[in-house]
Parts: sequence; C-alpha cells; structure tokens
Amino acid sequence: MFADSRFDYLGRVRFYIAIVVTPLHLVADLPTRASEAFHSFFRTREELEAENQRLQDEMLMLQFKLQKLDHLEAENQRLDELLKASATVDDAAVRAQLIGESSDPFSKRVIINKGSNEGVYVGQPVVDAHGLMGQVMQVEPLLSWVLLITDPLHNTPVQVNRNGVRAIAAGTPDSLHQLMLENVPSSADIKVGDELVTSGLDQRLPAGYPVGVVISVKNDGSQSFANIRVTPTAQLDRSRNVLLLYSSPEAKAARAAQKNGAAAPLSPEGRQ
Amino acid sequence: MVDISGKASNVWVIVLSLVFAGVLAIVPVPNWLELWRPDWIALVLIYWVIALPHRVGVVSAWIVGVLADVLEGTLLGLHAVVLTMTAYIGLKLYQRLRMFTPLQQSLTILMLIGTGQLVIFWVQAATGQNTADNLAFIISSITSALLWPLVFVCLRFCRRSFHVS
Repeated sequence: MFADSRFDYLGRVRFYIAIVVTPLHLVADLPTRASEAFHSFFRTREELEAENQRLQDEMLMLQFKLQKLDHLEAENQRLDELLKASATVDDAAVRAQLIGESSDPFSKRVIINKGSNEGVYVGQPVVDAHGLMGQVMQVEPLLSWVLLITDPLHNTPVQVNRNGVRAIAAGTPDSLHQLMLENVPSSADIKVGDELVTSGLDQRLPAGYPVGVVISVKNDGSQSFANIRVTPTAQLDRSRNVLLLYSSPEAKAARAAQKNGAAAPLSPEGRQ
Repeated sequence: MVDISGKASNVWVIVLSLVFAGVLAIVPVPNWLELWRPDWIALVLIYWVIALPHRVGVVSAWIVGVLADVLEGTLLGLHAVVLTMTAYIGLKLYQRLRMFTPLQQSLTILMLIGTGQLVIFWVQAATGQNTADNLAFIISSITSALLWPLVFVCLRFCRRSFHVS
C-alpha cells in the first residue's frame, strides 16, 4: 500500500483486478435500479401528463434563452477575434450514470458507469445539469471513480462571475454541501450571493462552469484571511445523470478515434 | 472441489458468502448510516476462519483483502494487510473462540475489528487520504460486534445445510 500511495506502477494491477470485482458494483446498484423501475412502472397517466407539460414549458424557456445565447456567442467570438484571443472550444460531453458511492464515510467519491472502454481518463471533469461535480480520479475497465469538489482533497480554481476575483475553493472535511475559499484577503470584493465559476487556470477543468454560490462571508479582525463558505450549485447528492466533458484536444481526438459503436458525444446545444 | 476422502467440500459456499459480504460492503446507504455500516467482509472472513481453519487462513484473507481494496477504492494492500492480521489472530484464537458464549465472542470481535479499523485509520491519516480527526470510525466495529451473533447463526446454518468442510 505504500507503493500504491507513492508510485504509479500498481495502477495497472488494480486495473486488471477491477475486472473481477466490477460485477459486485453492478449487483450493489440493483436495489436502487429496481426501486426506480418500480416507480416508473406504477406512475399514473396524470402524473406523466403533468410532467410532460412541465418539461415542454421548460424546453420553451431554454430555447428562448438559447436564441440569445447564440447571438451572444457569435458576438463574443467576433470580439475575441478582434482581441486576437484564442477561440474558446465547445466542449463535447458524454452522459454517464452514477452507480455507487464510496463506502468510506470520510471521503466524498462516487462511481460512474463509464470506464476506460469509453475513453474516460484521469482528471476528466464531471458536471451535472447545474454545475461542476468533480473530476475522475481513477479509471477501471467499466467504471470510474469521481472525486467530488467537496472532498477535502479537492481544490477548484474559481472566479467570481461578477468581477473576476480569483480564488481556490477547497472541500471541507465536515460537510458534504460546503466549500471554503482559501487564503482570500479580508479586503477582497466577495459578497454573499456571488456566483463562482471555474477559472480554468489549472489547465484541467474548463473555464466557465458554475461551481457554487457564496453563502457566508465572515471577516474576523484577528485573521488576515476571510472565512468564506460556498454551497455547490451541482446537486452532489441527488444527480444520478452526469456528463463527462471531453475538453482537451488530445482527449477529443482519442475519443473521436474510438467513437464508432459507442454513444456519439453531443455538444452542449445538441448540434455537432 | 473434491478433497482426499472423495467427498465434496462445497468451498463455493465460502466464496459466495464472501461475495455477498462484498456487495453488502458497497451497497449505497444514506450518509448518516455510512458510519454505522458493519465491516461485513471481516465478519464473514472471521466466521470461516473460526469454523474451518484448515480451509480459510492467512492466504485467503490476503486475497480477499486485495479484492476488497479494489472494490472500495482504498490503497491497494490496505485491507489485505488488515484482513491478514485479523485472520492470523483468528487462527490463534479459534479454539478458544469456539468455547466462548455469544457475548464473549462479540467482545472479541469488537477487539479484532476495532484493531483493524484503527490500522486502516492510521494508514489513511498518514497518507493524507483521511482528514477526520475523531474516533467515529470505531462505530462500525461496534455495529459489527452487535451483528456478530446474527452472522454466526446464519453462516452456521449455511455451513451445516451445505455440508461445507
């Protein structure tokens, strides 16, 4: 175990042993799947109609927003070209499903049902419909482990949407639903309600994905740093469907190379 | 599998019970219950060590431990070392353990699994995998001890009905 924590070469061993134990993860997920199937089987027509109506309304709203977004994107690109800035890439994404979580009560990791067979790689960003969830920390043939942003081992470089102030959001050991901004001077312009997005400065997580909302700012006179708490926008404990982002060009190429047969990656707007 | 006397020893029952324990060890439960989850793999392994010391020993414990490490995503070798240690103490104690009353057995199990949890906690703290600073991890060895009589009765029933030897 010393070797595993310090060196890399046991990764292959773990990779192959994982083939043997993967079925256990699938079996352990069966009760949840069964209850989901049970619920979807015994739904009334009215419920389904109501849901259909709600989804259609939602889609209308989203399409309305998308119209404006298209316009803004084009404008942004023009401005970028004027400034000679590098064009921002559209991230490709693949849907994955949560099938388990770490049984260690002190760490916040989850298991998703895509592994190296789908081209998942270590460090790959994982988002849900509302924001950044975490990144892939370990890849097995059919599964991978995702480290959530609230794990005390995870640090996310973030930026305040309002004014661009940069900071690092770290997970907290005590709570599943909180992040802390580390080493932010008391004078920094961060207020309760500020939205934080990824800054992309780590060259790993793509820039611009929502991370969280500031819920409390405490300025203790005796300390030089402010105590800022953030609640993640992603539904870390509820999302079952997540998206794996293929953001780096190499990863995209690797993905495109083995795409035949697997599910095609969809761009955020659903057009290629 | 056929042993020297030509009778089937039904080792698959042991393997199946360990697989079942593995599933119980990773089945998703609410967060507050996570702390109370007993160490199923260790419980089942200890039972087989006590019941069939000639079948299940240190080597099988090591193999089960490596598989448990991959299953739970812990450091490769962590559970292997801990379960090997547990099985070794179990092998030393099995003659006495068989004579014990259920209460005495449960207390011994508490010590055995508690020691294992402590070693896991030490290693994880030393490698920075665990940042908790309290003794909450001990709770799982208490639930393990409380569930031991149940595990014992169930597995003894399995062993007798399938003539595992």
